Amino acid sequence: MTNPKSYIFPQRTIDDIHAKADLGRYRIRGFSTSQNVTHFDDLTFLSTGLTRFPLEGYKERCNTKTIIGSRYASTPLSLDTPIYISGMSYGALSANAKTALGRAAAMTGTASCTGDGGMLQSERDASEKLIYQVLPSRYGLNPKHMVQAQAIEIVVGQGAKPGTGGMLMGVKVLDEIAEMRDLPQGIDQRSPARHPDWLGPDDLAMKIEQLREATDWRIPIHVKLGACRVDDDVKLAAKAGADAVVVDSMVAGTGASAEVLLDHSGIPTVPAIVMAREALRDIGLYGTVSLIASGGIRSGADVAKALALGADAVAIGIASLVALNCNREIEGSDFVNEIGVPAGECSHCHTGKCPVGITTQDPKLTKRLDPKSGAERVANFLNAMTMELSLLTRSLGKGNVHSLEPEDLAALTLEASAMARVPLVGTNKVFGEL
Amino acid sequence: MASIGVMDASEMTTRELNALLKKASKTEDLIEITNPGARHNIVVGILDECHIKINGSVGYYSASLLDGPTVDIDGNAGWALGENLMTGRINVSGDVGASVGASMRGGDLFVGGDAGARAGISMKGGTLLVTGNTGFLTGFMMQKGRIVVCGDVGDAVGDSMYEGIIYVGGEYGSLGSDAEVAEIDEDELLDLWSLLDSNGVKSKPDFKKIISSKRLYHFDSLERLELASV
Ligand code: SF4
Repeated sequence: MTNPKSYIFPQRTIDDIHAKADLGRYRIRGFSTSQNVTHFDDLTFLSTGLTRFPLEGYKERCNTKTIIGSRYASTPLSLDTPIYISGMSYGALSANAKTALGRAAAMTGTASCTGDGGMLQSERDASEKLIYQVLPSRYGLNPKHMVQAQAIEIVVGQGAKPGTGGMLMGVKVLDEIAEMRDLPQGIDQRSPARHPDWLGPDDLAMKIEQLREATDWRIPIHVKLGACRVDDDVKLAAKAGADAVVVDSMVAGTGASAEVLLDHSGIPTVPAIVMAREALRDIGLYGTVSLIASGGIRSGADVAKALALGADAVAIGIASLVALNCNREIEGSDFVNEIGVPAGECSHCHTGKCPVGITTQDPKLTKRLDPKSGAERVANFLNAMTMELSLLTRSLGKGNVHSLEPEDLAALTLEASAMARVPLVGTNKVFGEL
Repeated sequence: MASIGVMDASEMTTRELNALLKKASKTEDLIEITNPGARHNIVVGILDECHIKINGSVGYYSASLLDGPTVDIDGNAGWALGENLMTGRINVSGDVGASVGASMRGGDLFVGGDAGARAGISMKGGTLLVTGNTGFLTGFMMQKGRIVVCGDVGDAVGDSMYEGIIYVGGEYGSLGSDAEVAEIDEDELLDLWSLLDSNGVKSKPDFKKIISSKRLYHFDSLERLELASV
């Protein structure tokens, strides 16, 4: 007789307890949460019928131009698509991966972002629009690099591990990366969780003014938040003077995190966008402070839904790495022998042994990623997403992706209805509303 | 002959002052700022070598994000004086607030009076010299460089530091997590006294030396086994 299946102790829970009993500490991994949370797939678009007419899907013009940060910046960030590449560090990623992402962004008229650990010159050279992150660690921060940027992003938190700093295992903290970060070679780096020079929102206002003074009030200042207490945080960031607020949700990816944080902190992307939108609306700054969403954006449909819910733009991380062949067997790779799992099940970015050369510093492995063809793949993917976004937008009878609105959406589940604040399909009711 | 520019801060906004300063730093040898009024964000992001004198006290983030200039402040300063200093020199005659020299990567920062909490936090290079006392968490998460405090230091000194050295002339409240006291040799002491002398400090404190125990460098020895265990 077989044992009945336990829902409290399924096989993965048993494996997890075994692993912790072997290790004697919490587990670390990369990639994204394993929680099955409400996401964009729980929403659907209500395309045109008799009440409104569509635009020709493949012909009529659909504007995807996106301007971020016009609140105070004299030169806001102007993008040809509302999708840009989010901050991933040189260190977590190989130089080839960073360069490919920068080049892909330039090819598609959008931006890439430095991530922790300072600016990699080859990404700067490749990227026309580079967002310069200012993180609690301040690794590699150089005012001469900052003034070359097209935007600055102050990182308060990261969705994959809110309330903690970055993490980079010693196998990656070597040579140039250790030097750029001023760290001893080979240490397991745990970046600070708090900024060294400011603590609360009143200090943040002064920090933002400082960065503006350093860059002559030219470029936008974004504030990136791990989506948790979204309502308060967004209001405080906006009040402190941010041009744009980035809400990074619990499904966002990471190169390395304690698993307990990946799976048990933060809120999903859908409610994060809605809460941020309402927070800005409450203080009369919706439309003035740009709203950027990140976390689990995988397709043009996800982008369209994020925009309809109220975002001005989205940032992609893992999806851009998948376009670079993450979790795909390529010539020379051997996932099972090199990393212990087949392609498709890999979340081993923290080990530095990425079989496709993305999240590794091992020259033998980084060679497997050609920055030129990698850039073409990512650019193709960005273009494909933008096409999906415009196709959906036209099917809703709109000629500008920023005209998408909550009224264009319905929810497929009760939870999605409550979180997205749109009606459940088959009803006219927004669940959870009084 | 050296060219001198004088700017009366009371007659301009911070934005105007910094913009003018950036221009002047390329042509003037000496720039004097009068009536700073303890304003925040004065002298930010100057990336050229020049000499700037501020006659009076300044607020938060003064003389920050600098690469090159020498800045003399005759007065006190608020939080984060000299934040992310790359090269150059900052002298302040009076006291400074919290996070002085936060994340500085090079250059010299001299404080004539006392400093608040988190002096030299996340420091990545250069020298921070405080002739008076410093507060709680001095040298927190310090990575490189040296902090020299002639007076007393508060609790948790050197907490979670990676590398670099903290010298304490007086007493410290407590050692931070993973910090330890190391032997100081005579040459090191003579070197410190000569540093003090060159900064016009005549005392010769019997410095204690605080460094990292390096016990937090690695997650633990089992980290490398995770790959095999999954
Ligand atoms: S293939 Fe590389 S980038 Fe993708 S999850 Fe595995 S280690 Fe990370």
